[in-house]
Amino acid sequence: MAGYSIKTDTLEKNFGAVKALKGVSFDFQEGLIHGLIGSDGAGKTTTLRLLAGLLRPADGSLTYVRDGRPSSFAEFRPGLAYMPQQASLYPDLSVAEHLEFFRDLYRLDAATFKKRSAELLEITRLGKFRERRAGQLSGGMYKKLGLMCALLQSPSALLLDEPTNGVDPISRREFWELLYAQSGSGMLIIVSTAYMDEAERCARVNLLDSGRLLAAGEPRALLRERGAASFEEIFIKGGAV
Amino acid sequence: MTGFDLHRAAAVARKEVMHILRDPFTLALVLGLPVVLVVFFGFAIDFDVKNLALGVYDRDNTRHSRQLVSVFESSGYFLPGAVDSPAAAARGLDSGRYSAALLVEPGFGRGLGGGGRARVQFIVDGTDNSKAQAVLGYLPGLTGAALRKFGAAVPADPVPLKTRFMYNPELNSRWFVIPGLAVIIIGLLSILMTALTVAREWENGSMELLLSTPLRPAEIIAGKIAPYVGLILAGVFFVNLVARFGFGVPFRGSHLLFLGGTVLFALASLSQGIVISVVTRQQQLAMQLSMISGLLPSLLLSGFIFPVESMPVFFRYFTMILSPRWFMEIARGVTIRGAGAADLALPLAALAALCALLLAAAFKKFKTDLEP
Repeated sequence: MAGYSIKTDTLEKNFGAVKALKGVSFDFQEGLIHGLIGSDGAGKTTTLRLLAGLLRPADGSLTYVRDGRPSSFAEFRPGLAYMPQQASLYPDLSVAEHLEFFRDLYRLDAATFKKRSAELLEITRLGKFRERRAGQLSGGMYKKLGLMCALLQSPSALLLDEPTNGVDPISRREFWELLYAQSGSGMLIIVSTAYMDEAERCARVNLLDSGRLLAAGEPRALLRERGAASFEEIFIKGGAV
Repeated sequence: MTGFDLHRAAAVARKEVMHILRDPFTLALVLGLPVVLVVFFGFAIDFDVKNLALGVYDRDNTRHSRQLVSVFESSGYFLPGAVDSPAAAARGLDSGRYSAALLVEPGFGRGLGGGGRARVQFIVDGTDNSKAQAVLGYLPGLTGAALRKFGAAVPADPVPLKTRFMYNPELNSRWFVIPGLAVIIIGLLSILMTALTVAREWENGSMELLLSTPLRPAEIIAGKIAPYVGLILAGVFFVNLVARFGFGVPFRGSHLLFLGGTVLFALASLSQGIVISVVTRQQQLAMQLSMISGLLPSLLLSGFIFPVESMPVFFRYFTMILSPRWFMEIARGVTIRGAGAADLALPLAALAALCALLLAAAFKKFKTDLEP
């Protein structure tokens, strides 16, 4: 798998008069799980959409790197998978039909698809629900199906927008275990979340507050450095630091 | 990267077929609307004026006057009812009970026999001018028939004018209306269908996911349009079947030419639907816009009921940018007149140009990002 990483430099984005991002610089290194942590309206979704090429920055720059060499977004894109925050699957299509649709979009050959989908159904334990329609899946299963669609093509970079939002604690733990299993293969994973307890599950965290980057780094080191017991504390003290 | 991948377009089309088959509303609309329209325009709406209430005041009451009334009655256009004074006939017209009145003056029979002038008055309610025009159109035929019945010498015309109606000798209005129904069905359905399906992807949130995949706009558009072209062709085929075997409307021209025109018109309308949904991104709004931009032009400005030639100058030129008007000429020309491609060169060229324009607009307007 090619090593994918993304850097941004003083990234800005406005929606009319609203400044969603006020000059943020991220360093998303290959092979790690990066967390975008922040409350609603912090700019997490905007950041991920910018990274996925779904929005254009107002100012600042994005640098996509493949195997140590800067590459264009067009070259980077085929290895990129994105799972939006809002429901974006088709309620009237079954689990199997979703996988087949994404197989065709990514032009996977029959053998690869068979192996990969069996593997994904196994680890997500959705095998029994192949024929169930997405509209009838529980919240956790729905998110897992979304993740399967994103992982089907074995991406080198995976962007997940609040994948555990509204999911019960046990499903959330399972979801993270799925992510860990993937990151072992050198995949760049960027996950946004509003759950502070999930920050510690990431290799690197980026704390976002109202469009600004409050702090970034390895979670435990960050807590030590700020003398904080939890990430909530860093957010509450945010302005003072 | 920017190339068009047929496999991906086919995947979108297959998915669309699943949506159609699983959505009872879409299916009912696509299959039901042609049936409703054919029944509506084929049976209920008849532009031929028949069974008009006719008030008859026969002051002459001779053999000849009774024969005159019987000619009106047996024509099938009128239902005569006797009134006992001209004032009663006038009141009947006022109240809307009669659409026309026939007043036979005393001395009518004698006049025909050669003793003076035979005088008849015919009054028509002009409120509904299309009805009045039709009634006036019947008169020469009826008076001619009456004169022959009386055995009177029909006065020789100074300029002998013989009228013959080509293609539709009986001027059967169903021959005129039913081929035009294809225009209404395609015009309305296809715009609505694509407008809803793309807007649904936006509302559903799935567009965000689709745009993050290698899927290109051209593949989405092609995949969205293709299943509906099939559906539309099925609808048009059904209408033609009913027209031919249910209403005896002839099909004189080339089926291939008709098919070609239908595909062009369907593509133009489907593209229009895509433009609408890309701009609105909401099903509700897309539905309203496609109703207005789909139904109104095909119903009112295509020549379906009101001839384009008799529209005010502005509208006559305005209809030129509306694809229904051109397809109407093709549909009627091919079915009723048996016109060939050379005869229909102008409408075909115009339709092809509009189709290319709308397709280009759909591609251009289609957004590849989530920018508002």
